[in-house]
Amino acid sequence: MLEVRALNCERNDRLLFRDLSFTLEAGQVLQVKGGNGSGKTTLLRIICGLNDSYRGELFWHGAPLGEQRDAFYAGLLYIGHRVAVNRVLSPLENLRWSSRLHHPADDGRIRGALGQIGLAGYEDSPCYSLSAGQYQRVSLARLLLHGGDLWVLDEPFTTLDTRGVALLENLVGRHAESGGAVLITTHHKLTLPGLRALTLGVAR
Amino acid sequence: MAGGWQWFHRLGSPKWFYEKTTRWLPWLWGAMALFLTVGLVWALLFLPEDYQQGHTSRILVVHVAVAGASLSFFPLMAVAGTVTLVWRMKLADMVARNAAPLGAWFSFLTLATGSIWGSVSWGTWWEWTDSRLVSMLFQFFLLLGVISLRAAIENTETAARACALLSIVGCINVVVIKYSVDWWNTLHQPSSPISMEVGSPNGPEFWVATVVMIVAVYLFLAVSLILATRNEILQRESGAQWVRELALEAG
Amino acid sequence: MSQASAAAAFIATLRRDLLISLKRRNDILNPFMFFIIVVSLFPIGVSPDSAMLRQIAAGVIWIAVLLASMLSMDGLYRSDYEDGTLEQLLLSSMPLYLLVFAKNIAHWLVSGLPVILVSPLLAYMLALPAEGYLTLVASLLLGTPVVGMLGSIAVALTVGLGSRGLILAVITVPMSVPVLIFGTLAVQNALAGGLPLGYLALLGAMLALTICLAPVATAAALRISVN
Repeated sequence: MLEVRALNCERNDRLLFRDLSFTLEAGQVLQVKGGNGSGKTTLLRIICGLNDSYRGELFWHGAPLGEQRDAFYAGLLYIGHRVAVNRVLSPLENLRWSSRLHHPADDGRIRGALGQIGLAGYEDSPCYSLSAGQYQRVSLARLLLHGGDLWVLDEPFTTLDTRGVALLENLVGRHAESGGAVLITTHHKLTLPGLRALTLGVAR
Repeated sequence: MAGGWQWFHRLGSPKWFYEKTTRWLPWLWGAMALFLTVGLVWALLFLPEDYQQGHTSRILVVHVAVAGASLSFFPLMAVAGTVTLVWRMKLADMVARNAAPLGAWFSFLTLATGSIWGSVSWGTWWEWTDSRLVSMLFQFFLLLGVISLRAAIENTETAARACALLSIVGCINVVVIKYSVDWWNTLHQPSSPISMEVGSPNGPEFWVATVVMIVAVYLFLAVSLILATRNEILQRESGAQWVRELALEAG
Repeated sequence: MSQASAAAAFIATLRRDLLISLKRRNDILNPFMFFIIVVSLFPIGVSPDSAMLRQIAAGVIWIAVLLASMLSMDGLYRSDYEDGTLEQLLLSSMPLYLLVFAKNIAHWLVSGLPVILVSPLLAYMLALPAEGYLTLVASLLLGTPVVGMLGSIAVALTVGLGSRGLILAVITVPMSVPVLIFGTLAVQNALAGGLPLGYLALLGAMLALTICLAPVATAAALRISVN
C-alpha cells in the first residue's frame, strides 16, 4: 500500500535518518520506535506531506505519491500530536465539521461513535471542559467515522487511561484485520498479532 | 523530488555560482568603475547647466538611474521567489535574501535624491502630489515588510519560501499601487501649487549622460548583489568540503 | 458511506468558523470597538469643525477600518494552527484554497460586515454629507474583503511565529493602499456630485482579482508555515 524508498532527512544540519526504506501492506501495523528526537514525528509528517525537506521516494499503491496527492489524502487518516479538536466547540460540532472533510456522517452516527469511544453524555459540552484524556478521545472518534485505508497515528496513547488504551488497541487491530494499514508511533508496548516495528536512530 | 534535486545540483549549485563569479567579478568591477567615473564626471563637471534648473539638474542624472534600478528589485525577487518555490534552488533564495535590503537602500536613495532635487526645483523636500515619489515610498515599505518577515522566521528554509511568496504577491501589488497612485495623483493635481512643467531637463547630452549612469548603477547593483550572495554562500555552506578547501587556500 | 463533496466541506468550514466566532464574541467585539474609538478620536485630535470633518470623513473611516481589520485578523489561523486543525485542512482531499476561502468569508461576515453596518452612523458623526453615504457603504462592501484576503496571506505566512508583534500590519497595510485610494476617491467623487461607478467598478475588479489569487496564495502560505 505504502512504500518508502531511500528516505534521507536532515533537520538543522543534523541527520535524522539515512536510506530509510520500508513497505506497509494492507492488514499490517507498523510501530515506529526510537528515542526522543530520533525523527519519529518527522517521518510521519513526511509521509503525510506536511514536511517536504527530505530526499527519497514515496509510493502509494505502486505509483509515486506526489502524482496522486488527492487519492492519497482520500485514503489517509492522520492524528498528530495536536489532535485538531477545537476547544470552544463541542465534540459533536468538531466531528460534524471534520467528517464533512472525509466521509459525511449524520448526527446519529457521530453520537454513536462518541458513545463507543466513551464520551456518552459529553457530546454537547464544550471541549475545554473535558479532561485531557477525554479531549484525546474526541479525536479517536474520527477513526470510527472517517474511514481511510491508512491510519497515521502520532503518540495516540499519551493521555489515555487503561481502558482507553485497550479501546484504541482494539480499534487498530480491527482496522488491520479488515484490510487497513496503520503506522503508529508510541512508547507504549503494543500487544497486537503480526505487529512489525521500525526503530529509528540506531544507524547513528 | 529527486529529479528536482539533481537539476538543482547541476545548474543552481552555490559552488558553481561562486566559481563563475570569481572569474566575472574583475570584469564587472572594471566596467562599473569605468561607467561610474565617466557618468559622474560628465554629469558633475561637463554637463551644461540646464537653462531652467541650473546645477540641480545634475543630481537628476543619478536620481533617474537609481530610480530605474530600484524598480527592478521586486521583479527580480519575484523571479527568484518562483525559482525557490518551484525548484527549491537555494541559490535563488540567497540572491533574493540580499536583494531585499539592497532594494530598500536603492528605494531610499531614490527618495533621498528625489527630495534633494525637489528641494531646489519645487522648493519643498517632500511633495505628495508627485506620484513617483509616493509609489516609491510604498515600494520601500513593502521591501521593509519582506525584510522583517525574513528576520522573524528562524528556520532558513521556511523563511526562504515565505519571503518568496511574499515577493511574488508584493510584485503584483507594487504594479497595482503604481497605477492607483498615478490615478489618485492626476485627480489631486489641479490643487497642487507646483508646476509640473519643471520636469526633466531636455537635451541629448543629458540623456546620454543618464544612460551611462543607468548602466553604471546596474553594474553597481550586480556587483553588490554578487558580493553579498558570495558572502551568503560561504556562510550557509561553511560545512561543505569546497568551502573548507577555499579557506585552506586562503590561509 | 457517502463521499464527501467540496461544496459540503466548504459549507461545513464556513459554519464551523461562524460558530466559533459566535462562541468567542470578544474576539469580534474588540476590533469593532477599536474601530469606533479610533474614529471618534479624530474630531478631538484634528478639529471639531464640521466643515473640516466632512472633508476627511471618508478617509478617516477607511483608515480606521484598515487598522481594525489588522487587529481582528491576527487570530485568523492562530487557534487552528495551535490545535492542529490546520494540518487536517492541509491533509484533506478537498482543494485547500476553497476551504481557505470559506474561512475568509466567515471572517468577513463577523468582522467586516458589522463595521460596514455601523459606518453610516460614524459618517453622520463626522458630518459626511448625505450624498456620500451610499458610496461609502458600497466602497466598504467591495473593499474590505480585499483587505481581509490580502491580510489572510500575511497571517498565513506568520502563523507559525511565536512572537510576531506588528509584522502583520507592516506587511498588509502598504498592500492595502490601492483599496484605500479608490475607496476614498469614490466617496469624494460622489460628494462632488458625480456618479462614482468607475471607482466602484475598479474596486470590484480588485475584489475579483483578489478572490482568484489570494486564497491560492494563502493556501501556499499555510503549507509553507506548517512545514
